[in-house]
Amino acid sequence: MRASWLSTLLGVAASLFLAAFFLLPLAVILWRSLGDTAALTRVASNPFYWQRLGFTAGQALLSTVLTVALGLPGALLFARYAFPGKRALTAAFTIPFVMPTVVAGIGFLALLGPRGLLGVNLRDTLLLVLIAHVFYNYAIVVRVVGSFLEGAAPRLLEAASTLGANAWRATLRVSVPLARPALMAAATLVFLFCFTSFGVILILAPTPRLATLEVEIYQLTAHLLELGQAAVLAVAQLLVVGAVTLLYTRLQAGMALALPARAVSLPRPRGGARAVLGLNLLIAGALILSPLVALAVQALQGPGGHVPSLENLRLAASPSRVIGFAPLGLALRNSLLFATVSSALALLVGFAFAYAVARGRWRVLDQLSLLPLATSPVTLGFGYLLTFPLLVAHPWGIPLAHALIAFPFVARALLPALRGLDPAHGAAAATLGAGPWHTLWRVELPQLGPALLTAASFAFAVSMGEFGATLLLVRPRYATLPIAIYDRLGRPGAQHYGAAMALALVLMVVTGAVMMLLQRRGRSEF
Amino acid sequence: MSLRLDELRKHYAATRAVDGVSLELHDRETLALLGPSGCGKTTLLRLMAGLEPPDAGRLALDGSDITRLPPQRRRFGMVFQDYALFPHLDVAHNVAFGLVELGWSRDAQRRRVGELLTLVGLAGFERRRVQQLSGGQQQRVALARALAPRPEVLLLDEPLSNLDQTLRETLKDELRGLLSSLPVRAVYVTHDQSEAFAIAGRVAIMRAGRIIQLGGREEVLERPRSAWSARFLGHRNLYREEALAAVPGAPRGAAALLRADLTSLLPASADGEPPQGGAVTRATVRRARREGLRWQLALSLPEWSLDVAWEGYARELLGSTPREGSEMRLVVPDGAWLALEGA
Repeated sequence: MRASWLSTLLGVAASLFLAAFFLLPLAVILWRSLGDTAALTRVASNPFYWQRLGFTAGQALLSTVLTVALGLPGALLFARYAFPGKRALTAAFTIPFVMPTVVAGIGFLALLGPRGLLGVNLRDTLLLVLIAHVFYNYAIVVRVVGSFLEGAAPRLLEAASTLGANAWRATLRVSVPLARPALMAAATLVFLFCFTSFGVILILAPTPRLATLEVEIYQLTAHLLELGQAAVLAVAQLLVVGAVTLLYTRLQAGMALALPARAVSLPRPRGGARAVLGLNLLIAGALILSPLVALAVQALQGPGGHVPSLENLRLAASPSRVIGFAPLGLALRNSLLFATVSSALALLVGFAFAYAVARGRWRVLDQLSLLPLATSPVTLGFGYLLTFPLLVAHPWGIPLAHALIAFPFVARALLPALRGLDPAHGAAAATLGAGPWHTLWRVELPQLGPALLTAASFAFAVSMGEFGATLLLVRPRYATLPIAIYDRLGRPGAQHYGAAMALALVLMVVTGAVMMLLQRRGRSEF
Repeated sequence: MSLRLDELRKHYAATRAVDGVSLELHDRETLALLGPSGCGKTTLLRLMAGLEPPDAGRLALDGSDITRLPPQRRRFGMVFQDYALFPHLDVAHNVAFGLVELGWSRDAQRRRVGELLTLVGLAGFERRRVQQLSGGQQQRVALARALAPRPEVLLLDEPLSNLDQTLRETLKDELRGLLSSLPVRAVYVTHDQSEAFAIAGRVAIMRAGRIIQLGGREEVLERPRSAWSARFLGHRNLYREEALAAVPGAPRGAAALLRADLTSLLPASADGEPPQGGAVTRATVRRARREGLRWQLALSLPEWSLDVAWEGYARELLGSTPREGSEMRLVVPDGAWLALEGA
């Protein structure tokens, strides 16, 4: 098909935006680190930083292995069997994926922290960090691998069974080898997220012993003002992350097997499969729900310990005596405002990008859409500080950063939908006299409704929960809910703790409500 | 020695996909399940394979009940409509899949794979990836894979429906040759009657979950039992009893079929007595059309007040070129009339 002027225009617009607000800040960080040889040698000669690099990679690897160990059986069984409540569970499993880091962190604190419900204090332990990482990423493994297998595997498993393979043999000889590319892709993605883990660590394990590179970059920038050393660390992290992302895109390309997809009614699990599935769902369900429930319980706990009480909410809402603490109303208003602006921006850029990639000659850009996903929020925020010093006084940096962080989610939700449009529709519209612009308005956009809603809900959730970049760019007046929560958590005292819980509950409820309102059945290309 | 189906039933919500089917599949025979889409033929095949449990009824193989036996223990080979080849395995490993389950040695596996690939004309394709094969080649690999473990019964689910017309014709002939040369009993599901009659020795016509006619292929083709099967099989001259009042020798019954393939044409001028045991009547050509090498005529029979669709080659028109209004005579032997059940 000929590339239309519209796709060229949109492609140029999207590229310019990405160049200005994504590539430029990264280039400035690189320039800064290369220009500062003193910082470079200081970082390279400091064994502490090497230790941090080793720890960051090690914990990410460990988290990935654990997530896969729990997620793979879930994915295999999900793709293979039908059972009552499957759709509700599938939806429930995506909760952690869209829940703000701060909410998950606070949730685990409410469960296993010093004042936790279970009475076991795991704060500042690697174990708690790993549990939180599995919580976050279990859904990625189940969804990526599960949906990959679901389209094809049932037919192939039937074929295997007519050839004499029982359920276990068929899983071993068909499902697992088939799932390998998807599993590797999911594992790579999980590794990426854990490698740049920030909010979870800052909240659950604020000890230098368990700091990731991302946390170090933040400390150097915000507390020590060692911008040169921060730049060097950011570049080091970017190198690792870039390499892993490249691997991910390779693996993802391998998922494009020509699998025969045909709807088959799935059987109910029986016998051993049923026990394994039940156990897996129980563990996953407990892992996902317990921190959220613990958070709700502690948020609604009164001073005497009785539930429910609105005391914590009142504390959170009242203007604080501590300077710079945003009360609930202000933080909520800021969060909603930033989320609205940044979702609109992310949708615009994401749509322009996806349209150019799907319709025009912008295939090269396709790979680029994942880069912001891999680039850590703290690095992005740090890059903005270096590149646009004026942003420090303005609130604009926050929605810009949020839009960029949400961009890959938006692009990846819209791309398959755009690619799935029947090209014959465009051709038919053209023969009926519609140019690309009219075709877009009258034929294509109406068909993209569900995908646009999915994309919008992702963008909104990302912005509501964004923590790392906001933490670097924020001024007290513009504090968002995650920032308000973190501020209170940093202070001693039961009152601050309770207020943090209450704020986290509000954030959880608002994010969940928006997701439920906007979320429609749609698939994104992860 | 046979596969017996006894009153098999399978219902989905409101549909009776398979509604009490009984039949017997004998040694070395190929049986076609022929019916329009949605008639339950694929469901019936899946019940035989054990991929779906029946709601009621029994399946017995060589005397032993296999109704509850899972598919992997039935040793029924199946060729799926979309082939369902394993995309992560090459051709040889696809074919050897069932042999591995049987615990064959590597050597024996390699020999058997070579044997089957030769049989289906794909010798030398062992290391190809299945995605690199054409549709016809994939179909052959699927067949080789199903045959490799020497199945008790071979089940084929519309195996040619994803191929283009020319390829389908070639593979149809190959399949017939293969199935008749191999000591295997097979059930062949299709909606295409030419496939069914080309490949199977016996044909079962299915409609709405039931087998409405089962018999040898000549018998089913030439003596459809109901108006519905007659129409489904492509017979075009079907009449209600009322329409046949003026026709000598027409059968009594709810409906009747005139087998135009047994009639012949005579020039209008030809004299003489009707052939023994038949009738001759005047015929006017209302429409004449060629489809390929065959003539399709719409005839009116004024003496019988009947319209007849007739087709045949040029030689059967005795050298004349029929056009609208041409006068002829139609010879209808007694055996050309067939009484049918129902409408």
